[in-house]
Amino acid sequence: MQEANVKRAPTTRGWSGILARPVLLAGVLLWLYIYVNGRELDSIEQRSINAESIRQRLVEHVELVAVSTLIVIAIGVPLGALLSRKPMRTAERTFLPVAGLLQATPTIGVMVLLGITVGFGSGPALFALVLASLLPVIVNTVVGLRSVDDATVDSARAMGMSAFRTLVTVEFRIALSTIISGIRTALVVNVGAATLATYINGGGLGTIIVAGITNNRPTVLLVGSVLTAVLALFVDWLAGLVRTFSFSPITRQR
Amino acid sequence: MPFVRRAAASLAAATSVSLLLAACGGLNGDPNQTTTSANPGSLAKVADLAGDEYVVGSKEFTEELILCHLTSTALVSVGATVQEKCGLTGDGARKALEARKIDMYWEYTGTGWLSILQQTKTIADPKKLYRSVSSLDLKKNGIHWLYPSPANDTYAISVLPSTQKQYDVYTLSDFARLANQDPQSATLCLGSEFATRDDGLPGLEKAYGFELPQDSQILIDGQASYEAVSKGTSCKFGQAFGTDGRIKALHLGLLRDDKGFFPVYNPSLTVTDAAYNRNPAIAKLFALISAKLTTRELQKLNAEVDLDGKDPATVAKDWLVGEGFVS
Repeated sequence: MQEANVKRAPTTRGWSGILARPVLLAGVLLWLYIYVNGRELDSIEQRSINAESIRQRLVEHVELVAVSTLIVIAIGVPLGALLSRKPMRTAERTFLPVAGLLQATPTIGVMVLLGITVGFGSGPALFALVLASLLPVIVNTVVGLRSVDDATVDSARAMGMSAFRTLVTVEFRIALSTIISGIRTALVVNVGAATLATYINGGGLGTIIVAGITNNRPTVLLVGSVLTAVLALFVDWLAGLVRTFSFSPITRQR
Repeated sequence: MPFVRRAAASLAAATSVSLLLAACGGLNGDPNQTTTSANPGSLAKVADLAGDEYVVGSKEFTEELILCHLTSTALVSVGATVQEKCGLTGDGARKALEARKIDMYWEYTGTGWLSILQQTKTIADPKKLYRSVSSLDLKKNGIHWLYPSPANDTYAISVLPSTQKQYDVYTLSDFARLANQDPQSATLCLGSEFATRDDGLPGLEKAYGFELPQDSQILIDGQASYEAVSKGTSCKFGQAFGTDGRIKALHLGLLRDDKGFFPVYNPSLTVTDAAYNRNPAIAKLFALISAKLTTRELQKLNAEVDLDGKDPATVAKDWLVGEGFVS
């Protein structure tokens, strides 16, 4: 999971490269709209595919992804920073396999178990999503911070910076693009896994997908699936954009 | 890391797409040639289908899977060669039957009348319903409905007996009253199918004159609703199927359908004309089996799969052996 040579200036792709994906995704959505509009929908299909229902499910989905990813960042980045400190080497070696184990627990199982015991809703769904996507953020934070040159840290300390200030102002800046890569992975994992939330009253685009499957309405299934895929690719693009523009190795400062 | 990220992105996209393919290409999946084996029992005295080949299908839930294996095992015991296509989702089984890609599967009389044949007038009398469905489907689509089982796998609303006492809710009219007066207490756990079908919640609301607010509709995996009602953490009421084994096992009560909204859902083996005409003795065979498949019996078989975790094929065969139909 090592990230090597990620430093790339925004100009290397150019604006046309950056805009290619959203244009493509908009095209897919337009095609979907035209396709669905040209079909006669029966009562079952209408209950799932209507502007209000699609808007509601999309908002729920984005909320699930946003909140779970924020929690993952709030837990994963500080934890990763802690584990990257030199005295924590052994702790890291024991902790990372545990985090890997957590990630490997089937998300749907965690959701339904929690749903039945604690209660259905977005709470257990968020918990399961956090478990599913925590690992890449921790690992990338550790790897990113570890890759900072010792000499850089030493010179910052020699200038009189405290260890904490060095971490925040120097090390994090250098590790930023690696950390954002981890967050990007978490985001995309969550867009996919959030489709399972519908099984425990968590809403989201999975509701449309499952309605399509259980009632055997391919058009409904198509709408739910395409929207999820488009959202995953769009979120991935957004995160990539953030990383490209936050690209700031120490050399670029003033 | 970029690789991992990209892999994750394509994985998310691929997951949605493969869900789609799974649903569309249900029949193109692995042609699960059956490994069913059974020796002749009492059925063999009624019919001999040696040399005949059949493709047996089913819908995707427990009871249908059991019935699917039950059918193939019974056919094999009288000498037929069988290919199984158990577990087609939604109305995939019916579509496959109409397209003659499968020869038979178990359908429910109520579903046949309302959903498949698109009839709006409900028929309360099970015998009359069966006669209407079977004659209309034969005339319109060339599909035979064999003698139905007396079991009624109707939709129902389950509830804990303690909740019934607390809110004085014993019938669906009582539930409608509760939903109108105190919607926060009328929390209903339901699956996607029940939430969207015309003979599910939308029709129930119309028939009993209530509208359950979104906050009281706990949309979950319908299979989890029994456990959820029994635990009572999220919902006091739950969607249920009349023949599900968990109703008895979890001591759940069912609300009485006092206005007779839910149709009767007697399972009946639907067979294409071609397969039926190949050897009409098949009707005699399944009349014997159907007669033994009561609601109680199906509850027991479903419980063996859903609660004891047994394999549907094993449960089906053990039952046939126990009844002496095969050996």
